[in-house]
Amino acid sequence: MTPFGLPAVARDLRAAVDAAAHRLRGDWEEDEWGYDAGFADAVDPLLSFLYDRWWRVTATGVEHVPRAGRALVVANHAGVLPWDASMMATAIHRGVGRRPRFLVLNWAFELPWISVAVRRFGGVPASPFNALRLLEQDHAVMVFPEGAKGVGKPFSRRYRLERFGRGGFVELALRAGAPIVPCAVVGSEEIYPKLAELPGVARLFGAPYMPLTPTFPLLGPLGLVPLPSRWRIEFAEPIELSGYGPEAADDRALVLELSELVRGRIQQKVYENLVTREGAF
Amino acid sequence: MAGRRILITGVSNFWGARLAARLAADPAVAHVTGVDTRPPGPALAGRIDFLEADLLDATLGPLIRAAAPDVVVHNDIVQFPEPGRSAGRLHELNVIGTLQLLTACDALPALQAVVVRGSASIYGSEASAPAFFTEAMARRYPLRTRFQRDVGELENLVEAFERRHPRVTCTMLRLQPVVGPGLDTPVTRLMRLPVVPTVLGFDPRVQLLDAGDSVAALHRAALHPVRGAVNVSAPDVVSLRRALHRFGRPAMPIAHPLYAPVISATRSLSGLRGVTPDIVQYVRYGRGVDTTRMRDELGFAPRLSTLQAIERVLADGERPKAAA
Repeated sequence: MTPFGLPAVARDLRAAVDAAAHRLRGDWEEDEWGYDAGFADAVDPLLSFLYDRWWRVTATGVEHVPRAGRALVVANHAGVLPWDASMMATAIHRGVGRRPRFLVLNWAFELPWISVAVRRFGGVPASPFNALRLLEQDHAVMVFPEGAKGVGKPFSRRYRLERFGRGGFVELALRAGAPIVPCAVVGSEEIYPKLAELPGVARLFGAPYMPLTPTFPLLGPLGLVPLPSRWRIEFAEPIELSGYGPEAADDRALVLELSELVRGRIQQKVYENLVTREGAF
Repeated sequence: MAGRRILITGVSNFWGARLAARLAADPAVAHVTGVDTRPPGPALAGRIDFLEADLLDATLGPLIRAAAPDVVVHNDIVQFPEPGRSAGRLHELNVIGTLQLLTACDALPALQAVVVRGSASIYGSEASAPAFFTEAMARRYPLRTRFQRDVGELENLVEAFERRHPRVTCTMLRLQPVVGPGLDTPVTRLMRLPVVPTVLGFDPRVQLLDAGDSVAALHRAALHPVRGAVNVSAPDVVSLRRALHRFGRPAMPIAHPLYAPVISATRSLSGLRGVTPDIVQYVRYGRGVDTTRMRDELGFAPRLSTLQAIERVLADGERPKAAA
């Protein structure tokens, strides 16, 4: 393994940014969602840098994501910027050679530049209509049912999964006949350790919450640089739902039961990976 | 189905004149009556019956009864002030005009269908919006602008009419922004500027409808109406930045809070009369709609894609434009 020295990191980062800027010039193609395959390729060097050098991600079980056809990847969530989604997408791209789409907290689409970058990388506003349409087009879709509750929780509650909404993701999977791939992400909780909240500032910016971290807002924009924690991402065996049929989506009891099953499985995998990971940095 | 009698409101505007000409030439149509406050161009003279009437006028009822249409195409819906129609009259015309027209339609025993040229702006342009609105998703967001509220109110009026007359098929066409050579709207005005003002840091997904296709959609709906709302648009969606890049049109990004002030301040330079909140919101977030119902139930497919429609607007140069 390469030594984790600052000059090497700076050199790699520069190379990654140059490569990305180079590929972004010129015409590009995009699909009806605003996803741009060329953009995803262009930011690959940057994400690879984060994946290999910054967060030193270990991904396991990627083969559980099907190589083609619809699938709903369900994961725990942390950090208001969808870094966890980008790392999962990188793992899936490397492992099974496809670019997943993902649902992003709506607030991100009100941010200048970030909204455009997220969309071109495959993010869509977190609406069940978007998810269903993507699944029907046979995409692999990543969702984070904890939503804003997950990203906004204090550091002391890290790795304890919040409620999984109202089980909407199970309804989607049932309606679309897509398998659910539970996914546990360990490491994302430490990148922006939230010590306290600044609700007044959050209201000022229309943000769902405004965190106070050891570096933000103390260091200004530099405080947005995520901490280099060590990550593990595990994809568990898929839960096949096609046997139930699309009508089962209206069966509340079944939906809540499956939702709890998926949440339990992710929580268990999170704990397992925390033990395997040993140190956070 | 042969021998339809069709009445078109707003027959002298861009859509009305073209639709009337197409219908007059259609063998399935026996008779076309046009209603407007000013006469249509000479091209329509002798081919249709023209009634000079104001939708806001009490004389409307008897005139429409005398015309005895079996299909009414309500096309007198305006988003923008135009020569002869002040901004203050837009609400009157859109809402009260629709109310008066539908009241007159209450007394038409032979009426089979009402087709309304409505607008997809009822869905709004929102950051967190679904990427493709289906017809069932109207009013998921508050109606923020005056025109949106007008459209909301006129949709209510049409729904109420449909409840009163279950035999009459009411089609609410929800058009995405219509662009085309020879058409002058706030969207085309922005697109035709030598440098297109965009919102800094944002890149809306836009989905448009070519002007010729919009007339063809009205034609189709007048002869084959379907119940309820139908989104009408080219099916493809493009990001504004890519469209501009593709056709070599430079963009000038302006920070969002300054967008309207900058455009007002450079009025003499750009020739724009300022921008409405609808447009500011639209160039920031855009809007996409699902066109499944248009294709499968209305049986209509636009000839031009969004990208082709944009190309045609950019290519048409300095030809005179009709206000829409």
